[in-house]
Amino acid sequence: MTLRQELETEQVRHMDLQGYCLVESETSVRETLAHMRGAGGRTALITRDGELIGIFTERDVMRRVAGTPEMLDGPIDAVMTPRPITILPDTSAADALWLMDDHHFRNLPVIDRQGNILGDMTHAAIIQYLAARFPVEVLNRSARPDQYPSKPEGGD
Amino acid sequence: MTIDTIPLPQLTRQDFMSDQTVRWCPGCGDYAILATVQKVLPELGIPRENIVFISGIGCSSRFPYYMNTYGIHSIHGRAPTLATGLAIANPDLSIWVITGDGDGLSIGGNHLLHALRRNVNLNIILFNNRIYGLTKGQYSPTSRVGAKTKSSPMGTIEHPINPIGLALAAEASFVARSIDAHTQHLGEVLLQAANHVGSSFVEVYQNCVIFNPNEWVGLDDRRTRDDNILYLEHGKPMVFGKNHDRGIRLNGFTPEVVDLSDGVTETDLVIHDAESTELGYILSNMEYPTPMGVFRRMTDRPTYTDGLMGQIAEAQTKRGVGNLDELYRAADLWTVVPKEQDEPIESHISGRMADELDDEYVDRLAFGEEPAATTDLQERLAEETVEALAAHAPVEVDVHTSLAKAIRQMNTHNIGCVMVTDENDHLIGIFTERDVVMRVAGLADDLAAATVGQYMTPDPVAVRADLPIAHALHLMSLYGFRHLPLVDDDNRPTGIISFRDVVRHLHGVVKGTPAD
Repeated sequence: MTLRQELETEQVRHMDLQGYCLVESETSVRETLAHMRGAGGRTALITRDGELIGIFTERDVMRRVAGTPEMLDGPIDAVMTPRPITILPDTSAADALWLMDDHHFRNLPVIDRQGNILGDMTHAAIIQYLAARFPVEVLNRSARPDQYPSKPEGGD
Repeated sequence: MTIDTIPLPQLTRQDFMSDQTVRWCPGCGDYAILATVQKVLPELGIPRENIVFISGIGCSSRFPYYMNTYGIHSIHGRAPTLATGLAIANPDLSIWVITGDGDGLSIGGNHLLHALRRNVNLNIILFNNRIYGLTKGQYSPTSRVGAKTKSSPMGTIEHPINPIGLALAAEASFVARSIDAHTQHLGEVLLQAANHVGSSFVEVYQNCVIFNPNEWVGLDDRRTRDDNILYLEHGKPMVFGKNHDRGIRLNGFTPEVVDLSDGVTETDLVIHDAESTELGYILSNMEYPTPMGVFRRMTDRPTYTDGLMGQIAEAQTKRGVGNLDELYRAADLWTVVPKEQDEPIESHISGRMADELDDEYVDRLAFGEEPAATTDLQERLAEETVEALAAHAPVEVDVHTSLAKAIRQMNTHNIGCVMVTDENDHLIGIFTERDVVMRVAGLADDLAAATVGQYMTPDPVAVRADLPIAHALHLMSLYGFRHLPLVDDDNRPTGIISFRDVVRHLHGVVKGTPAD
């Protein structure tokens, strides 16, 4: 099976989709940033009554908040990107990857048919997938590239 | 400021990397375990001078050289004995014993048992690849019955040791298992082992790419592992499978796999109880699915050091501090008189070893399966360099640039990261969108007054353009770096690559592969 076929049969729900935090609509931008920092600087998915209504990413922080501190005490709704493109949990990893690459998306929230938020598909998920898929080539490397032996018996 | 209040410096994984050339075969699972240990140690907050790695003999036992901590590369199988002595002499140390299936279960099997049952405060990591790798491919105490190796050309006739069952029987107070290829799981298990007070035993399934590459098929493969591994979590029902649709039910004392769809719900499944020795034994014998995680954790047992020191203190309060010299000379002294030399013994050896014995023997070797052929993509990962990713030209800012200007520049160029340089154009830091979210937005008041130097990530990991793409993926996947600055030999920025560039490149590669 080629990697292409693998990614076409792999569903996004099997990937690591944990890089996000949930923030309720009308929360202040300042508080949203605190939530994001608590989650290690991850993307905020903005919800109203449990339903996804927007997304607020590092890019939005750069473009709409960092240079204009007066936005900080306004509601997150003013600076989020409303109605982001979402994918289903059984969307193939390949489709998600193409979508991200063709449209320059860095986040694709994963929503099931009932509207429940299951995760956020990112480039990191693809990187993690590839690393675990090819452990001999990717994971099993010396921490310093100059220390990596070139011969099978090592120690050169 | 008194010495007590000086905060410990926040260590990073790089602080735990030594300057020694790593001498393992390319692709060896030991690399992933080393990287994971170096990633986990900073999280423990223990200063390096209080950490010791002790190993015996074997491929894995080269570990102490590669850790920038104290270390002892000791005698074959005897690492637990040195570690026991050290743990008693200095109870403040975090002591890690690195051993393998040969070193720990054959040559040093006895020492391992007793270190475990005494509950010495050690973290014992047993790398299990089910083969003797360093001596080039003989069967080990964990090789499966029938395994064809260089020392068992017709297949072994010995039944293997079950390391988890052995550790449980030896009364280890913490028993766990993980696998090299699942670094996230491995990291979590190692962290729990380190935080456990007492003897922690962690078996790590490890890939020997040269002599036993197919041992963990199904478990080390990202596509199939979640269907074959049962992740043990204390207090949670035993659900497994990629889609969480299968579970483990007890039928008497026998665990059986059930489908959650056939009228079976999670309430019918076994709840994992890491405090139950009985359940630990049942799980230790399970082959499908393979349990990974903590089998048993006992927190109520005193450590060997505490018990011993307690007795010494008690004896000293009752009888005063002892005097070793007096004890030696107390009674029963005698003198050994040298004896006259006997006639030397003559030995009579005849006969000759056949010169061709070795060749004859090697010719008879019959190996099992050949390792799976590498695909085009795997070769490209290892051979193509990051140069192929068409790195972006670096956007550089001087360390004294104001935050306001740096952010404006990032927005103008539509980039997530700038490289921060000093007056000689040397890379001294990077400043990324994540730094803005974590430290600037809503936290820094005057962006015109603050400089990028105060908020950047200093001394970032920077790489050269001839680095294999696989290594860039390694750094990104294990440590979550989203940007890798490229520099020349003089540490001057030449470009930058991101997650996105890697994914885009692979997209191109994958598109070029046939759909069926």
